[in-house]
Amino acid sequence: MGVNLEAGRRHGAVKSNEDSFETLFAAEYARVAGIANRVLADPHEAEDVAQEVFIDFNRLHSAAAPYAAAWLYRAAAHKALNRVRGRRRRERRELSQAADEGGRAMDPQHVFETSEDRRMVRQALARLAPKPATVLVLRASGLSYAEVAQALGVGIGQIGTLLRRAEAALRKEVTRGTSL
Amino acid sequence: MAHLSEGTLRRKFDDEDALTASDTRHFSACADCQARYAAIAEDARAVAGVLTLPDIKVDIASALSHVRSAPAAQPRFGIRLPIIRPASRPAMGIVAAAAVIVALVVTGVAQDALVFFQPKTVEPVAVSVADLQSLSGLSEYGTFAWTKEPAPQVVTSAAEAGTVSGLHVPVVGPLPNGVSSTITYAAMPEAVGVFTFDAAKAAAAAAKAGKTLPTMPSGMDGSKLTVTVGPAVVEIFGNLNAGAAENATQLNLPQLIVGASSSPVVTSTGVTAQELENYLLSQPGVSPKLAAAIRSIKDPSTTLPIPIPIELATSKNVQVQGVNGLALGDNTGLGAAVIWIKSGTVYGVAGTVKQSEILDVANHLH
Repeated sequence: MGVNLEAGRRHGAVKSNEDSFETLFAAEYARVAGIANRVLADPHEAEDVAQEVFIDFNRLHSAAAPYAAAWLYRAAAHKALNRVRGRRRRERRELSQAADEGGRAMDPQHVFETSEDRRMVRQALARLAPKPATVLVLRASGLSYAEVAQALGVGIGQIGTLLRRAEAALRKEVTRGTSL
Repeated sequence: MAHLSEGTLRRKFDDEDALTASDTRHFSACADCQARYAAIAEDARAVAGVLTLPDIKVDIASALSHVRSAPAAQPRFGIRLPIIRPASRPAMGIVAAAAVIVALVVTGVAQDALVFFQPKTVEPVAVSVADLQSLSGLSEYGTFAWTKEPAPQVVTSAAEAGTVSGLHVPVVGPLPNGVSSTITYAAMPEAVGVFTFDAAKAAAAAAKAGKTLPTMPSGMDGSKLTVTVGPAVVEIFGNLNAGAAENATQLNLPQLIVGASSSPVVTSTGVTAQELENYLLSQPGVSPKLAAAIRSIKDPSTTLPIPIPIELATSKNVQVQGVNGLALGDNTGLGAAVIWIKSGTVYGVAGTVKQSEILDVANHLH
């Protein structure tokens, strides 16, 4: 009897853990994927990153943890930035494909410029230090100052300064290659 | 009044009402702040422009099923816990023997079940792997038997851990980033073991290994050491069931472990502490350096020596909760620990986080 009770309790705990993971997933998946996409500008890859982030989270943390959303946002930004750093070669290939495809449909020069600008911006973002890059990505993804502060583990009063410096740094990085 | 800071001006770009009344007055009268604001706003607009993308469309149900079907992840860094792997037992035995030997090194008088070892503070003793390998198991010097077996058990709550152990269960303050707040509690009542020296057994074991032992002091043969450990409580942070391992030796490493135990107590009948120290330190293979390190401990009867394998770990003395403690590891996040003794209780905090974070957790225990 004692054993059954114990097993039942454990089963209940597992069930409620799974339930809260599903609730967390439903509430945050789109936003986490959006953050990754902000960095990658590639919805498929962004979803890959978002799913990896949730798998990592679920492996080590309780979905009921109060820091769950903040953890997911930061992890999505970091993981996506790491991918940009590691995919330079692949990007070049995709870029030339995009230019070829675009040539059939619309002004090739325009497509090339859009695609090239995006690539430059993503590369510039990935060259920034992790903290400023993350501030920019999270804020551009629609997080409030409070949410950005929580995800970075800094005081809300620092966000204005961090954003300002990050924006100046990104502009500088990008203007080294294009006309932002 | 001073000019508005960059952060304040940047905030104004996102929220017109972010300025206080006095900031607003200053801003409207200050050409310098207005010019800086214009530059800040231009950067902010330009960056927002380049980071703008069409909204991503997601199918949450299919993404969730994809996540659910992902294979169980391997522990990070591929670390496997070497728990009770047969091959590791001799090594563990040697470490344990070394720990006991250094822990038993005491001064003072120790006659007839006098308490001669009850640590109140901790001190590192550097040992090399060669030192550890040269020490044979304590079991070769006599026999050991539990008179009260250790009975560790996993319990469901802090309250139950308190009931089983009779100890106050430490409560953690803020946790390091990324550490799960899921806690598994374990508790153990006090356990008592008796070690009886046996000169014949020790000589036979040494002869088998081709060594000659120094003669046991008279009175040591047959004398007993009674060792009391615990009660103890342990809190393990992290979801231990997630990413379930397929084989039993492979578990997720806990992110953080907090433990508390009553200080161990050793009592003796017959052998004096000085005899014991001299005898153990004269064993073949105990390097002069190790012997010197042990003898240099100022008040061994109240000091718990922590063996630090010098090739594998570094340690430093730190202040924890107002007392001396010993911190191991570093700030790489691969692993760190701190141990200290306060009011008759040995505390330890260890985890796969930075040493600075471990110390922060230790200092916030209450």
